[in-house]
Amino acid sequence: MRILQTSFMVVLLVGLFIFLVSCAGMKGTPNGYSSHADYISAGQQISCSECHEDQQKGTMKSFASFNHSAVFVKNHGHYAATDDRLCASCHKSSFCTDCHTNKTEIKPSLLYGNRPDRELPHRGNYMTLHKIEGKLDPSSCYRCHGRSNNERCIACHR
Amino acid sequence: MKRNLSPLFSAAFLLAFPVAVYAVDISVDSTSIVRFEQRDIPGSSKQDIQPFTQFLGLDARKLGDGNLSLHLYGWGRADMGDTSYGDSKTDGNLTYGYLQYRFEKTDADIRAGRFFVREGIINEQVDGISARTDLPFGFGLSAFGGATVHTEDLYGENSDGKGDYIAGGRISFRHKGLLELGISGVYEDTAPALVNYVNGTNRKIGADIWLSPHRAIELVGHSSYNTETSEMAEHRYLLNLRPATGLVLSGEYSDQREQSLFYSWAMFSGAAVNPGDKARTTAITASYYLDKTTEIILGYKHYNREIGNADRYGGDMKLSFMDNRLRGGLGYYYLQAGDNFAITGTSSASYHNLRAYVMHDTKTYFSSVEALCRLFDEKIYGEDTAYEAAFSLGYHITPALALSGDISYGKNPDYQDETKGLVRLTYNMTYDNKGEKK
Repeated sequence: MRILQTSFMVVLLVGLFIFLVSCAGMKGTPNGYSSHADYISAGQQISCSECHEDQQKGTMKSFASFNHSAVFVKNHGHYAATDDRLCASCHKSSFCTDCHTNKTEIKPSLLYGNRPDRELPHRGNYMTLHKIEGKLDPSSCYRCHGRSNNERCIACHR
Repeated sequence: MKRNLSPLFSAAFLLAFPVAVYAVDISVDSTSIVRFEQRDIPGSSKQDIQPFTQFLGLDARKLGDGNLSLHLYGWGRADMGDTSYGDSKTDGNLTYGYLQYRFEKTDADIRAGRFFVREGIINEQVDGISARTDLPFGFGLSAFGGATVHTEDLYGENSDGKGDYIAGGRISFRHKGLLELGISGVYEDTAPALVNYVNGTNRKIGADIWLSPHRAIELVGHSSYNTETSEMAEHRYLLNLRPATGLVLSGEYSDQREQSLFYSWAMFSGAAVNPGDKARTTAITASYYLDKTTEIILGYKHYNREIGNADRYGGDMKLSFMDNRLRGGLGYYYLQAGDNFAITGTSSASYHNLRAYVMHDTKTYFSSVEALCRLFDEKIYGEDTAYEAAFSLGYHITPALALSGDISYGKNPDYQDETKGLVRLTYNMTYDNKGEKK
């Protein structure tokens, strides 16, 4: 508890210091993200660098980092954790909450049964497989079902 | 807390409609689904399930001075046949519902209501307020606080195991599109004591990094530390290399102390996990676009836990033709897993997974076919194969309104026969302030 309180105090003080220093030099940085929703069709494999030259402006990250290759889709959590405002230039919040939510009614793969290209999790009968995959890598369950979205789990895990 | 707030948010959800009428841009996303399902579980009587579920999302933008927006999403279900889940024939949930004010500079915004926070090591749902802004010299700040969104009570308990309030934030620093460093933390109210589960309080701090010294090299990941157990919870890192156009080579590494990572996962008594238990995964993946029509993915992943080791390897091919209107995919992987990963009462966890799909979209109709097959090395509940075939066909009544139907049939170790069908009506439209469709 003491470590936590000390850590939070340190983080708070560092944050306050950065905030004050930054505000002193603040002239108003323009917003970086705008909506792309009107330009992109459903199912399009997005390659940011197809339209944007991969030049660095200010602190923007390389567009190539966000090309939606299979590697990006599989590891999208890393990017959403720091750049969700960029995600929001194309995706509504509901796009995320189809899977990452507190309470689901229908498996995402069933809700979007007409979109097998979206590779949504738990395809087919996952009841059998989860008994293997859960032992193999429980952290993969935890990321969606850990502290939320656990209603279905409680039905059996008592 | 949940019981008090849920009706309030439900009321806000309804009240939002008249508010939204005055918005300049209103976007409505509606999906109505009626499912038809017959369940035949060995040892149980057959069930006929026909739940009607309505998913509804509403985004009202350019409210007030033009920078205010309202975002709502939720669902409700009513069973028309046997009870589809739990004890009640009706259910519903407000997934999120918040007002957001986005400032004209500094990518700053303030949100109030029910929303998700994903910042650094934080991934939480909150009924409260959040704020964030970019600052000069590459710094950024975000903070949130409010009531924890509770889920279903655990079996035999009057709680889901979470504390009642939660707060946290992230400080970040970016340098010239080459580097981002972040420090984040989450502090939750002390977790309630449970009768049947061993519970822990959710308090963690962590650091994240994104480093790209050259556009062909990228390192991204985070480490988290559980202040309750005074142990590292997780290291999780990804290295991407892009040596040629269309080619991505990635290496992934994760290392977890299971007690510290799962400490507040009350349902599995995470706080009671042996403090020495560790899990480690390493993976390599290669993704290559042969051309605009074809992507090939090959992957290998190694799992290491206290109970044994496992390996998964295989590949996928994704195809896209006719300006993306015709798409398809093929996939195969094999999981070779130690006996300790096997389902209780069976002797092997190893299996082959095969999948194929094809889909076609036109301005009038859309369709897809998908086939899944799993071949188990040893029989599970007397079955060595699980399969499912699914077919979907839809019609665009208007560009915004579509009617579609899915039907699937499968057989697997848990269900002797699994036949499912659904009818889906989707409506996705954005209106401007004159009521014109955009």
